[in-house]
Amino acid sequence: MSGFPFDTLLVANRGEIALRIIRTAKRLGLRTVVVAHAADAGSPATLGADEVVAIEGRTGVAAYLDGAQIIEAARRTGAGAIHPGYGFLSENAGFARAVAAAGLTFVGPTPEAIDLMGDKIRARAFVAERGFPVAPSAIEDEDPASFVERARALGAPLLVKPSAGGGGKGMRIVRDMALLDQEIAQARSEGERYFGDGRLYVERFVERPRHIEVQVMGDGHGTVVHLGERECSVQRRFQKIVEETPSPALTPELRSRICETAAGIARAAGYRNAGTVEFIFGGGEFYFLEMNTRLQVEHPVTEEVTGIDLVETQLRVAAGERLAFGQGDIRSTGHAIELRIYAESAARGFTPTTGSVLALRLPTGEGIRVDIGIAEGQRVTTAFDPMLAKVIVHGPDRATAIARARKALAGFALLGCETNGGFLDRLMAHPDFAAGAVHTGWIDENPDLAAEPTLSADLLRRIAAVAALATRAVRDGADAVPPLHAAIGGWRN
Amino acid sequence: MRHAFDIDGTETEVWLARDGQAYRLEGDAGRARVSLDGQGLDRELSVDSRREPVLMVIEGEVIHLHLGGRTYQVRHLDPARRFADADDSAGGDVARAPMPGTVVRVDVAVGDAVTTGDPLVVIESMKLETTIRAWHDGVIAELHVAAGQSFDRDAPLVTLGSGAV
Repeated sequence: MSGFPFDTLLVANRGEIALRIIRTAKRLGLRTVVVAHAADAGSPATLGADEVVAIEGRTGVAAYLDGAQIIEAARRTGAGAIHPGYGFLSENAGFARAVAAAGLTFVGPTPEAIDLMGDKIRARAFVAERGFPVAPSAIEDEDPASFVERARALGAPLLVKPSAGGGGKGMRIVRDMALLDQEIAQARSEGERYFGDGRLYVERFVERPRHIEVQVMGDGHGTVVHLGERECSVQRRFQKIVEETPSPALTPELRSRICETAAGIARAAGYRNAGTVEFIFGGGEFYFLEMNTRLQVEHPVTEEVTGIDLVETQLRVAAGERLAFGQGDIRSTGHAIELRIYAESAARGFTPTTGSVLALRLPTGEGIRVDIGIAEGQRVTTAFDPMLAKVIVHGPDRATAIARARKALAGFALLGCETNGGFLDRLMAHPDFAAGAVHTGWIDENPDLAAEPTLSADLLRRIAAVAALATRAVRDGADAVPPLHAAIGGWRN
Repeated sequence: MRHAFDIDGTETEVWLARDGQAYRLEGDAGRARVSLDGQGLDRELSVDSRREPVLMVIEGEVIHLHLGGRTYQVRHLDPARRFADADDSAGGDVARAPMPGTVVRVDVAVGDAVTTGDPLVVIESMKLETTIRAWHDGVIAELHVAAGQSFDRDAPLVTLGSGAV
């Protein structure tokens, strides 16, 4: 027996996320059910679960977002709890309520906490009212008459953004205050055009900011702890690529301040389960940005340094247990880095790529972990997120972790679909990264990082030799097409 | 026999000559005594006296290989096909996908007469909608995709004929 009030867990997600959760649930003795759209037939997640329930939708994504279908799948399979994974349904308060209303356990925070933190302006006001640091700002809604005056008083540089905004749309940076009126008018018209809402929000803009976030965990019995910070400054198009812990930017004094601030915010919100408090860090100051009310993609770096399985902790807390550890019991050891392997072409502006996974080789070795959700024979399409796998490394210090990251990347081979593996290796080899001197705009400022380097004469000769010899062998019939290729032809039908 | 390959966007012509038990590589990539040993996916490449592991899969005319820590897609350029492609691009009248994505909407049917600028197909890639518009007056000769369908980079979307209605 598992010792949980439920013996079956339904995982409402796909890919590496679903597989990651299934792995821990199995270790804890839980039976696992996964929902899957036809596009994911035969994926490692569907092979790893004890039972698979087919879900349908106009698109694959729509199927995974269909809460009613998922709750029905849980009912049919006798699942007592639903883990929403870390995308799709994990931050949907309505889904959390529907799960509870169906008499099932939602492995995540309360719907109230999801609602509070899901509304950025409300979350910000909640945090500011309790005395935690937020970037100095002016919100038009609070007093429309004095809005421009209050914005001017903040001083340059400023970030003007639509209140209703998201994804960077309509945002404008003002460095010259003489242009403030003009930029406000522009942002307002863009807000109206994109969101049908011209209300604005202005905050002090942090130049070359770093993105630092803190993992928190609450048990619903009054205990909230933090599990240290993660730095996620290496981003392209507002999406994270590399995460690490500890952050090379923080002094011990700043680290304890930012971590305690995060735990304080979670405590004030009466937070239960896993969450992440995100901060913008620059000029020696940090400001609350937002809180994600879910387990995040980059949680493994925290697991590597603390030795705590966060999915297990989530399941125990959801089952009503108290946290088995207090703040003083959490120890961080060494340095961990996570690299996200995306199906994309760095050289062509990070556009997605597609193809069949013809061959896959995963790195092994000391301090190397790979979380992956695809297997040989599967097709990579643009129907879902382009993230295919995560390579996580852990070492006694940052230099060792970087060296292990490069070793792991060299040993990661996926044939059939272009990935960002070479780009990640160039990131790891870059002196700015080694020096810890990165910020959220670093990749944009260094376009040469994305360009594939020209082949050396030596490398060109080696590639040409393989190509010529392989072509000749196939042509002469001396060598059949590799057997896997023939097998994949069959799998596609 | 001479082979031409597209290696990282550059056309490279090479040929092999027998050299005892191994081959000698000649051509644009330079000279070397080479051999490729083993079967299936995992091979060992030998270039002069240096040996290293190679992971390799052949998919039609594309050779996927992992060598020295990086993955490459090398395309074998067949001489006959190279001429055919050149012809095709000269009279090319096909809109091809600039990147993989999904078809949001198809606004025309085969046989429809269109004028320059008319919307033909709306596609979505990277959460960005793009409308493919008629690039000259003509008649829709072929629709290669339907609404809801996903496509790969370079996939043909619409063929626009010049014929009168």
